[in-house]
Amino acid sequence: MKRKTITLLLMVAMLLVAVGAVMAQDAVTLEFSQWWEPELPAGEFRALMDEFEAQNPGITVELISGPYSTTRDQIVAGAATGTMSDVVGLDGAWVSDFVKQGSLASLSDLMVEAGYDDSELAAQIQLNGATYMIPVVNFVYPVFVNLDLMEAAGVMSPPSTRDEFAAAATAMTNPDNNVYGWVIPLSTEQPNGIQNDVMSWVWATGGSMMKDGLPNLVDNADVSSAMEYIKSLWDAGVVAPGAFAMREQDKVEEFTNGRVGMMVDTLAHINLIRERNPELNFAITALPAAEGYDGPRGLPYASWGIGVAENSENKAEAWKLVEFLMSADVNSRLSSIANAFPGNVNSTPDFVQTDELFAAAFEVFQAGYLANEFVGLPVAETLMREFEEPFQLYLDGDMTLDEFLTTAQDAWMAHFE
Amino acid sequence: MASITASTRERPPARLRIRKQLVPYAYLSPTLLLLAVLSLIPIATVFYYSLMDNVIITNVPPSFIGISNYAEILSDSNFLQALRNTLILAVASVIFHFILGLSFAVLLNTRLIGPGTRALFRVVYILPWVFTASIIAVLWRLLLNPNGVVNFLLISFGLAGEQIEWLSSRQIALASVVFINIWSGYPFYMVSFLAGLQGIPDDLYEAGKIDGANNLGLFRFITLPLLRPIIISLAMLDFIWTTHQFTLIWMTTGGGPVRASEVLSTYTYKLAFSSYEFSLASTTAMVILAMSTFVAVFYVRNQRLANE
Amino acid sequence: MNRITTQPGNSSLTKILVIVGLILGAMFAGLPVLWMVASSFKSNTQIFAYPPQLVDDSFSFAAYLAVLTDPQKVRFFVNSYLVSGLVTLCTLAVGIMAGFSFSRYEFRFKRTLNLIIIGVQSVPPITLMIPYFGLIVALQLYNTYWALILTYMVFTLPYAIIMMTGYFNTLPRDLDEAVMIDGGGSFVILWRILTPISLPGIVSVGVYTFMLAWNEFLFALTLTKTTDMRTVPIGIQLLMGQHSFEWNQMMAMSVLGSLPVLILFLLFQRYFIAGMALGSVKG
Repeated sequence: MKRKTITLLLMVAMLLVAVGAVMAQDAVTLEFSQWWEPELPAGEFRALMDEFEAQNPGITVELISGPYSTTRDQIVAGAATGTMSDVVGLDGAWVSDFVKQGSLASLSDLMVEAGYDDSELAAQIQLNGATYMIPVVNFVYPVFVNLDLMEAAGVMSPPSTRDEFAAAATAMTNPDNNVYGWVIPLSTEQPNGIQNDVMSWVWATGGSMMKDGLPNLVDNADVSSAMEYIKSLWDAGVVAPGAFAMREQDKVEEFTNGRVGMMVDTLAHINLIRERNPELNFAITALPAAEGYDGPRGLPYASWGIGVAENSENKAEAWKLVEFLMSADVNSRLSSIANAFPGNVNSTPDFVQTDELFAAAFEVFQAGYLANEFVGLPVAETLMREFEEPFQLYLDGDMTLDEFLTTAQDAWMAHFE
Repeated sequence: MASITASTRERPPARLRIRKQLVPYAYLSPTLLLLAVLSLIPIATVFYYSLMDNVIITNVPPSFIGISNYAEILSDSNFLQALRNTLILAVASVIFHFILGLSFAVLLNTRLIGPGTRALFRVVYILPWVFTASIIAVLWRLLLNPNGVVNFLLISFGLAGEQIEWLSSRQIALASVVFINIWSGYPFYMVSFLAGLQGIPDDLYEAGKIDGANNLGLFRFITLPLLRPIIISLAMLDFIWTTHQFTLIWMTTGGGPVRASEVLSTYTYKLAFSSYEFSLASTTAMVILAMSTFVAVFYVRNQRLANE
Repeated sequence: MNRITTQPGNSSLTKILVIVGLILGAMFAGLPVLWMVASSFKSNTQIFAYPPQLVDDSFSFAAYLAVLTDPQKVRFFVNSYLVSGLVTLCTLAVGIMAGFSFSRYEFRFKRTLNLIIIGVQSVPPITLMIPYFGLIVALQLYNTYWALILTYMVFTLPYAIIMMTGYFNTLPRDLDEAVMIDGGGSFVILWRILTPISLPGIVSVGVYTFMLAWNEFLFALTLTKTTDMRTVPIGIQLLMGQHSFEWNQMMAMSVLGSLPVLILFLLFQRYFIAGMALGSVKG
């Protein structure tokens, strides 16, 4: 039996070599630039690519890996000089501008050409009726609660409404011990705290910052109430100091060190927190909604999205790689190693069954819906920054709520002409 | 025109003269070739962008709009604030780099301690210089974190009552950034001065002492004047480089909070890579170029005076 | 051979002042770096512990092992040495010649050329990136060592030229004349006479050039593509992830990266010993 298997394997291998030799004449090398490889356990992503190469003789994948913080700049420069990789990793906040630049190919066309059935895809980022990005895996942002701090403060269960959250945050805060109930990262360098930690309060209550495709910040009860709520927490002194220079990567260290009771944070951090502080006892819960709201809650998320370069000479092969990454089995495995939720509706990552915390998060995920209104907006990062500046002035008491929202609205409108 | 400073005794034949005239250009040729290709071409491109609308990230072809980008930039209050902060950063950095660099160079030049100890001190003193800017930013973010070691020490010694938000307070963020830039930049002056001090002949000091000058007098009347050409070159270069300082500021405060530490480089970066306004970003680059050229003209004139 | 700080008479007081000054300065320069070294031995969580401790029970060499056993990271170091070393040599050779030209000759357009050389570095590099990148691609240098070497030469040459002009200006022209009387040409004057005497200046320019090339990030990232061409600063940045940083490995990698630079400086710092330069030759 064993020998049979080996013989079979050998034959398959020889066949592959033979096929490879035939195909070698028109071998295609796909460049795939992304920031994922360094984020994943060493060698894991390359292994997936090897699998793809084995399945598609004649196509080799060259991984171009860069730091996340500069990936976007590299794509811009690459597109401007005609050196953009065939396949690129994308963030939803960049798509609109790359489409404007004409650097991304329409995936809708590629799907039609390949005869692909897109019903398996959980989401597609579309602009002007065509798909340009497909989220491969998603990192949702629920609330993390430090259970030890919570119990010590006499709070019985993780908060599920704004009032409960405020009460819990106040109870946990103890400046003498350097412990605070909540943390918001509002650094100017990485303004994504606006999306994940601030605007998410609007979405969690089913609200929206847009109306008919245009910004709608003024006279929007959902937005004002969320901002007033955050301001009340800020004024109550329950937010950890240093917010205006804090980034997501700093926020998680504060939580891991037990100095912060609660944070809105990405699931990508679960294993990190466990690894860095095995003693920390924490739970995950949905982002609190306003009192009396019982509709589905919007969950902020960030994606590892994928797109194909317009100037790629191997679009059909590039699509094969996208299709490979989106296939149910591969997508499950990628989600598992990335600790993310899959982009294929039929995929289930292992950790959902084996891990209590992820199981809890998966429930939150299934009860709500993915909400990130910044995805697909033009100059999304600038929008966050233009919101953040008056927001900081508002928190500091140098602007009223009306001034803050009017300033942000005016700044935003300038990009929607 | 070309003449080596030695007196020419008799006029050489014309062909030789022409060849001789070419000598200085020959020595300059690698530099000129390199800079013409790799510097002037991109600068010309950026200048071209600054006169256009819709470049790079665009769905319509670029169009020529003349100086209206300049009008837009120069009337933007955020630009003016960034300009002001840049000048504060650059002037403060130049002054403190000079003071620290020169004091440390003089201290390190001492013969009061053995050569081994001196070598050790020299290595310690250049430490801030050997790290890449992003890691200096990361390090100072750790040190100046509200829960960082700086606040811890200040509170332990009773010098501060509560945690100071060094990088996240609008009042002190700029000062903190200036401090970090001073810390990371002085060794460059120090090393240049160390080299410059070696060029001052001992007999000048001997003569000074015979004339009854004390240490301060020797420093004031011999060391400083002789270092003057180096000081001026360094100050000019430092001024230009500090106006370009990006990574350090971007990775500590990002120019915030609320643009409190916004400088021209962070302003330009946001225009280019966050708002994709490459024309406007190129325009600010040209404004910075104009400013720096002004400083450079002053320097070249000064050089000429020094040579005469 | 008395120097400014060693005046007779008040020597013991001076000595105490100098030593106190030296120690204070060393604390200013060294304590933040000490904290970096200490952090490289801690666990990622302990780096953020409060109250902070210089050394705690999480002390380990794990971060160093992680860096040194990763062939990719070791390759980053090799690349950085190669690029920085070549940049230093090329910049010095080209810069010394240009400085000599500016110092010893009068010629047409001298002032204009001088102004242009200083002026070209006045554009913030970040805004030049896209056109520059296009140029490097057009010259077919993309993803080669030469892309980085030539780029860093463009960055370092203005400084090298300015400083070399300055150092050559401080050297007396009697030296040149002596050579010319012996029948030597400008080549001999430059490489046999002026260059050896200017070693302190050359070393300081070389140190600067090496540091810049060693630490540059933005262009190194843009002008290279494949992992085998990347340099140390990019390796450090790769540890700054989308969601979290490997703080201790970043620190360990910086410490490791700085060691060779410091050793080089230690070797070369003897050129800063008094009397090497002008003082000893001006007879």
